[in-house]
Amino acid sequence: MKERIGIYICHCGGNISDYVDVEEIGKMLKEEDGVVISKDVMFACADSNQKQMVQDIVDNKLDAIVVASCSPKLHLHTFKNVAERAGLNPTNYVQVNIREQCSWPHSDQPREASVKAMGLIRAGMNRVSHSESLDNIEITVKKSVLVVGAGIAGMKAAIDLARLGNEVYLIEKDYFVGGHIAQSDNLFMSGQKGKEIVSNLYKEVKSFKNITVFTGVEVEKVTGSVGNFAIDIKIKPRFIKQKADFELVKKAMEECNTFVEDEFNLGFAKRKAIYKNYPEALPDLPVVIVDAIKEEKALLEKYATCFDLNQKDELLSLTAGAILIATGYDSYQPAEGEYGYKTVPNVITLPEFNRMIELNPNGLIHNGNKVKKVAFIYCVGNRQTKGDNKYCSRQCCSAAINTSIQIKEKYEDITAFHLFRDVRTYGKQEILYEKSSKQGDIYIRFDEKEPPKVELQGKKALVKVKDYLTAKKELELEADLVVLVTGMVSRSDSKHISEKFKIPIGTDKFFNEIHPKLKPVETVIRGVLIGGSCQGPKNISESVQSSLSAAAKINALLKSGTISLDPIIARVDNSLCTWCGKCAEVCEYDAVSEVEFDGKQVAQVNKAVCTGCGICAPICPYNAIEIAQFTDIEIESMIDGFMQKIEFNVKAAEEEKVEEKEVLTMKEFPQIWKNIFKLIEENKKTIPQLAEELNVSTDIITYHVMTMNKYSMVLADGMDTKEEYYYYTKKN
Amino acid sequence: MAKVNPDFVKDIKKFGADEFSACYNCGNCTAICSLTDKNNAFPRKLIRYTVLGLESEIKSSVDPWLCYYCGECSTSCPRQADPGNLMMSLRRYLISKYDWTGLAGVLYKNLTAYIIAFLVVIGGVVGLYVGDVFNQEQMMHYGHYFEMFAIVGVFALILLPNLIRMWYLIVWKNTKKFVLKTHIDNIKELFIHMFTQKRSLSCDSEENKKDEKLWWFEHFMLVIGYLGLLFTTVVLNWFGPKSLIEGGNSAGSLFVIIIGYVFSAIVFVVTFDFVKRRIQKKSEKTTKSHPSDWFFVIWLLLMSVSAFAVRLLIDFNVLENNFWVFLFHLIILVQWALIIVPFGKWTHFLYRSFAMYFSSIINTVEKKK
Repeated sequence: MKERIGIYICHCGGNISDYVDVEEIGKMLKEEDGVVISKDVMFACADSNQKQMVQDIVDNKLDAIVVASCSPKLHLHTFKNVAERAGLNPTNYVQVNIREQCSWPHSDQPREASVKAMGLIRAGMNRVSHSESLDNIEITVKKSVLVVGAGIAGMKAAIDLARLGNEVYLIEKDYFVGGHIAQSDNLFMSGQKGKEIVSNLYKEVKSFKNITVFTGVEVEKVTGSVGNFAIDIKIKPRFIKQKADFELVKKAMEECNTFVEDEFNLGFAKRKAIYKNYPEALPDLPVVIVDAIKEEKALLEKYATCFDLNQKDELLSLTAGAILIATGYDSYQPAEGEYGYKTVPNVITLPEFNRMIELNPNGLIHNGNKVKKVAFIYCVGNRQTKGDNKYCSRQCCSAAINTSIQIKEKYEDITAFHLFRDVRTYGKQEILYEKSSKQGDIYIRFDEKEPPKVELQGKKALVKVKDYLTAKKELELEADLVVLVTGMVSRSDSKHISEKFKIPIGTDKFFNEIHPKLKPVETVIRGVLIGGSCQGPKNISESVQSSLSAAAKINALLKSGTISLDPIIARVDNSLCTWCGKCAEVCEYDAVSEVEFDGKQVAQVNKAVCTGCGICAPICPYNAIEIAQFTDIEIESMIDGFMQKIEFNVKAAEEEKVEEKEVLTMKEFPQIWKNIFKLIEENKKTIPQLAEELNVSTDIITYHVMTMNKYSMVLADGMDTKEEYYYYTKKN
Repeated sequence: MAKVNPDFVKDIKKFGADEFSACYNCGNCTAICSLTDKNNAFPRKLIRYTVLGLESEIKSSVDPWLCYYCGECSTSCPRQADPGNLMMSLRRYLISKYDWTGLAGVLYKNLTAYIIAFLVVIGGVVGLYVGDVFNQEQMMHYGHYFEMFAIVGVFALILLPNLIRMWYLIVWKNTKKFVLKTHIDNIKELFIHMFTQKRSLSCDSEENKKDEKLWWFEHFMLVIGYLGLLFTTVVLNWFGPKSLIEGGNSAGSLFVIIIGYVFSAIVFVVTFDFVKRRIQKKSEKTTKSHPSDWFFVIWLLLMSVSAFAVRLLIDFNVLENNFWVFLFHLIILVQWALIIVPFGKWTHFLYRSFAMYFSSIINTVEKKK
């Protein structure tokens, strides 16, 4: 129990005191037990008052303070700092919000507002009287980071984290690094080849001794918490002997004659049973497809020194202080029959088209036809008002237009149709749109309600569309190839990643940040950050930006070697706990575990993992678990305080009127108000006239006159001759 | 269901259109145009038709003729797609589509064809003289006959059938009916617009309002001058009366000689200014000149100058010794009458005023609906 409490009630310059009788409340609270100081102040947050508070705490040996003012979102830390400066533990401070919760919403009922304010302050006072002094939790962290995904976002982040002195483990699911960008031959706006960027980045990654790259990896298990994660990974074998002669392996790859489906080229090529995604793919070590190569007995015999088909998965355990998830996206895969996909042979997706272009430098042939007319259909699998993917993938318009420009440069006599819903080539990408339309690409706008229809006509595709740019005219166009501009969707294995790392998934199925504006790369799991397009559709620049910002955040977190955490967490009363396990069941963060204590099993809370969400407290059948600062006694005392009958001295009606007038004759008017009064007392004036005579800008005069108008100090009195501005006079 | 024809773009470019593909359909051009209205929303709609290659829609559209090319759409286009120039090119395209012989299209699309046609005429006229088929007197005599027959022949064989085709494409295709009364009621529109071009006065481009008015006046004077000169030379036989030096002309003949000088001077002055404007390229409408535009103004200029000179030589009684001047005039005249009038830019004189007429017929029919 705190015995020496200080209470400060803020006028907020009239914002509160116009409606809430702060002086009376101050007087009344002085009478309460345990209250040493209770006073009303014009601005509690003012420097002078803060100094006075520190002085009060020291002089009167206060052991707890309450400030009744605005929202804690605004000034909680201000007054916590005041407490700290005065040598008081900040957990012994409670803020009560009587502005947003009393004076502003109940301005029409000032007396009731005062009663409510009194109740709230008394609740706060009761709570603070039960407050404990708590210290922040300090945790030692490992200066190592696990980066999941070696695409452009992951590799860039790994490089920066390594440069800042962190140990980095970069893991990749595929056998080769690079992710999606390796599949693009021409990236907008730079026109660079994706593969070149991948090669350069990988070279840079390898130049850091503190980056370890693992490919062909699956995440098995993640335990621990911020500062000390333990991650078990499984590395799939390449079935090539560790000491094999590299030249021989290459030869074997050349001689291999068994072909299988090629995922990298999306069906536009076959790959060998000993393969690399593409010749320059890195790491520069091929992979053997065991099931397929078994047929080639002669080859296996000839190169017996190279292969070991009995290699097993390798299990490895890593420890990391923080984790960056940069697992990227999947391209939307149209359903069979969606715009004729898989039912009309001329229909392919944009990623497929990009592979086709790269593999056919000399001329495009599709379905036995020379491709001359290409129709792009936009927003496929995106911006579905009725479907799941309501979002816009933001990069596909630019990607499609970039491809369209590219094919015109690469091949002769190409006509491109763009069947779009809206062209969203934001930023510099607008230049691409302009270039494409100037080069003669034909843009036709359709509406989601009336999507284009694709049919097969002979060897060509016939597209029927209602053009909203030509008075909804029904158009028919022939195309050799229909390219579906597909958007981005969350990866098919997102759920697996989300389960392993316990990071939440949004309604769009991408990983969720805490706050899109204020905490854009942090997840609710402390120490697990997200970067790149696993968070939502992004283009390459945006992906890299977000992963680098996550890298910076991680470095800031791990830099000092320790992390200081808020002490507001769950705690277990071992004498009451019987370990029923219910708290562990409901905990979304896996913060509760079973331990032995004094010969019995009890629950233990991992201080680094617990976020103090409070879900465990009401679940406990024995009331053995509680949240610091939100203990039962604190909450109950608040309710008691609020419910206590408040006997307010009801002021006579005349008295209230007098008080209202007092607001008007407030001594502490700004000088400018006095000046304005002086001028408009003589003659009514417009805002520009006042501005000129006082030599102040009209913006400032407008602000002040409007404020005075709000407080009914001035009155609009007719308009000037041009009917441009109001005249203002003093209100009596 | 209309079929998209991307190849049309290549075709229309031969008629002088250029940057219209850059259009992103903002509609600024239609918003700023003072001549467009709800029934005829141009130029945006025509840009769409052109980009999509909807030829039958363009052919039956009267809209290109409703534009007088003040150029405000082009200056306010955020994509520099030059809608004004497209409208001009569509007029050339329409002329070629109205022409049943197809020669207009050949000449518009092909400068070489134009030059060959001009050379053939030179060869013919010079051949008739040098080959001693006609002597000087006969040359002048038959030259005058030629004028009369050319006017009647070209009108009957080329222009009249073309106007009927134009009527079919515009009036019939849009209304699917023929009501004689509406045709008679609206006939005044034809003559008002043919002789006054008053619609162009509504072009109220802020920047060059004054210049637009001057241009309208010059164009008006050119029509008066040209028709006057035509009448003087063909009907009143300007080159007929004897030389002024010799004297002995009747008062009527003197009058004819003088108005001939006045009309040819008017044509000369105006066309000189028009050529100057096309060289200086100060206004939007004169920045992009198709060969057919050059031929039109230059041939008018040469015709008026040479006619003036011929009459001057007659009046000083020295034509015999300078007969090449008459030959030059005759060459210009024949080229004008057989090439530029039936297949070239001259036709806009007819088509534009008939378009206004047809447009008011369509509007009357629509209103009745």
